[in-house]
Amino acid sequence: MPKLIRWRGDRAEAVEDPFTSIDDDQVIPQGDVIISLRRFQSEGAFLLGQCRQVGVRLAADETPEALDADLARIAVVALVFPKFRDGRAFSAASILRDRLGYQGEVRAVGDVLLEQAKFMVRCGFDSFEPADGATPGQWTAAAHRFRHVYQRAADGLEPVFVERATGHETPG
Amino acid sequence: MYRYDDIDQAMLTDRAAEFREQCRRRLAGEITEDQFKPIRLMNGLYLQLHAYMLRIAIPYGALNSAKLRKLAWVASTYDRGYGHFTTRTNLQLHWIKLKDAPDILDALAGVGLHAIQTSGNCIRNLTADPHAGATADEADDPRVWAEAIRQWSTFHPEFSFLPRKFKIAVTGATRDRAAIRIYDIGLRLHRAADGELAFEVLAGGGLGRIPFLGPTIRERLPARHLLSYLQAILRVYNRLGRRDNIWKARIKVLVATLGAEEFARQVDEEWEASDKAAVDLPDTELARIRAGFAPVGFETLPPVSAAFETAKLDDRAFARFARHNITAHKQPGYALIDVSLKAIGETPGDCSAEQMEVIANLAERYSLDEARVTYEQNLILPHVKLDDAPAVYRLLADADLATPNIGLISDIIACPGLDYCALANARAIPIAQDIARRFESPELAEKIGELKIKISGCINACGHHHVGHIGILGVDKKGEEFYQLTLGGSGEDDASIGQSLGPALPAERVAPAIDQLVEVYLRERTTGERFIDTYRRAGLAPFKEAVYAEAH
Amino acid sequence: MKALTANRLTDGEVVFWKQGQWLDRFADAELFDDEAVAEAAEAHAKTQVTLLVEPYLIDVAEVEGGVAPVSYRERLRALGPTNKPEHGKQAQGGAQIEILAHAHGAASSKGRIDLIKRK
Repeated sequence: MPKLIRWRGDRAEAVEDPFTSIDDDQVIPQGDVIISLRRFQSEGAFLLGQCRQVGVRLAADETPEALDADLARIAVVALVFPKFRDGRAFSAASILRDRLGYQGEVRAVGDVLLEQAKFMVRCGFDSFEPADGATPGQWTAAAHRFRHVYQRAADGLEPVFVERATGHETPG
Repeated sequence: MYRYDDIDQAMLTDRAAEFREQCRRRLAGEITEDQFKPIRLMNGLYLQLHAYMLRIAIPYGALNSAKLRKLAWVASTYDRGYGHFTTRTNLQLHWIKLKDAPDILDALAGVGLHAIQTSGNCIRNLTADPHAGATADEADDPRVWAEAIRQWSTFHPEFSFLPRKFKIAVTGATRDRAAIRIYDIGLRLHRAADGELAFEVLAGGGLGRIPFLGPTIRERLPARHLLSYLQAILRVYNRLGRRDNIWKARIKVLVATLGAEEFARQVDEEWEASDKAAVDLPDTELARIRAGFAPVGFETLPPVSAAFETAKLDDRAFARFARHNITAHKQPGYALIDVSLKAIGETPGDCSAEQMEVIANLAERYSLDEARVTYEQNLILPHVKLDDAPAVYRLLADADLATPNIGLISDIIACPGLDYCALANARAIPIAQDIARRFESPELAEKIGELKIKISGCINACGHHHVGHIGILGVDKKGEEFYQLTLGGSGEDDASIGQSLGPALPAERVAPAIDQLVEVYLRERTTGERFIDTYRRAGLAPFKEAVYAEAH
Repeated sequence: MKALTANRLTDGEVVFWKQGQWLDRFADAELFDDEAVAEAAEAHAKTQVTLLVEPYLIDVAEVEGGVAPVSYRERLRALGPTNKPEHGKQAQGGAQIEILAHAHGAASSKGRIDLIKRK
């Protein structure tokens, strides 16, 4: 099984990926699978009725709101970065976490690069398939490069205006 | 002005350290140029024709003596002793070495300066009314809100990979000195009838290949909800803005395609669904930021200064300077003094390290330690006592910074153009120099009155040519430089997009054409009409006839 | 005729290829009459990723007194900014600089023109 980077607590680690990502023209094998939104809409109910975990892959132009009713039963939402410059998935992840209250795995797939690690972690992604071969160690370091954050996000970090109000010291 | 606290400072230090590591990886070959380019761009580092260019952010155009001195030091230590102030109130250094860039960012961080988000498809450096805190026509100080936006937008995890760059301008005044109608978002503070502080929100303005003036999408946004409302706009744009075509990716195209009403409806829907309290700053934080901009050190003075009035009577040159470069202040006995970076024959917006030092000294001694950058590529000393104005004038004049031409024909906006810029199609600077020399006589310039010429070296329109009373756009015609003229643009309260005058002209024909346009204006104008007023009344025809007559 | 140019990675300086070396002056640039030789040099240059940024071939033509890049942009790169004659390569002066400064009649610009296009 291919390696996957999982974010646990405040660090990244390598884990075996129990899911197989299935294209629309592939036959669905046994085991846990990630399928497209279209396929989920036609076959999702059937697959969820079997004893396996199902994840849904959202293209950059698909919205997480489309999954709302089924979210509680979906194990993984995989958000696609068609190019690293295409930042739509950052909004999709934020909406999944902050608005829809999704607790499952939010996975970054596609053109996923180390330089975006901190943005992804902040928006609520918790698993990553780096396209640049980044290691968990690099991922952890990149996500922790900044001691403070200026705004609230899905990671729940205390923004600077809260730090200031509570008089926390600047570490380091 | 607002001073960065330990936290703001730590953000800059962490960023500089991050970039040092990224540069190291690039120089060591651990990452490719393709991977490095967006990283260096997000730190304001471009590769131009002759060297790297570093674009340093000057948030809402606010400088003090320490920042100016550091910029001067960087310019003389790492560059060739000068910098270029831009229409985005940034400072560009044109001769930077990649290997020096981390050291430069460290040095800048020491005085609260940085190059964060001066490029890339993110929320760029904020601009604001350069008269902020000094003008009587102000409902509130826009810098308070600009600083709030600066912090909120810095390293915003959701909005750092937008469809395209995103620029926000803020004013608190009745008169628009921040060109808010040509911005992705323009914000105008006003006090509603019931006393509530509110923003008029404009969205979808912008220049470039398809220019638009931003429509108002909300007349009255309670000021305290600014950030949550901005988040809603940005989220709608991030999700729906076009990503298939770079020329259609700016928010202006989305707003124009949906229509302002429908766009506003979608923003409202997103805004109502969002957790506003999680985004909007608490009152305590706003008050903290506001305290950073509280006026300090004004003296109680009579509104009229005998020294100032006498100097005007005694010195005609000073009187002329006072007419064009000195503006009334809200505080009796004070004035704003425009520092012209448009000396005749020089490069518009350029400022030498020595000049930066002079301005730093003047700001420190005479202007409550403040200076501002304007989008028209000049600087302002915002709080000068009228009593001190003659002395400030003399010191500026000694440094070639007192050209009495603010708003006049030689106060030309020009981007760096093909002399430096890798994107340009034609040079802009020599055209500006030609025109300024032709109208060098201050008497002639004064007779012509307000006339705003704006020159861009390519369609990206960094020189705001669409909104020049006379706009000049450099184009490449079979490898040669040609220039398209437009008339009737304005970026101010009477905002409009200029109309094309006719076929593009070769470089040597541009300054003579300006001469011809001015002749038409002087002939046709009625009392009190500015160039643009005459154009709006008389139309394009007489101007076109004058420039293209010989072609018939 | 072609010449091979790039910007040096460490400082952005405009450089020209001469038999495997990268030199600062257009006067020293190797001129290729043979397209295949030029392309081979370019292909090699593209592997020098820790030395250069974006090497590319430019068209060079005979002009009065010698040779010069065909495009105006490339002549500016070989000279420096026209508003600051004391900066850039033009500051050194010399015969080749004079030739470049007086060359005209450019054909279509080539060079780094697609910088802001994506993909």
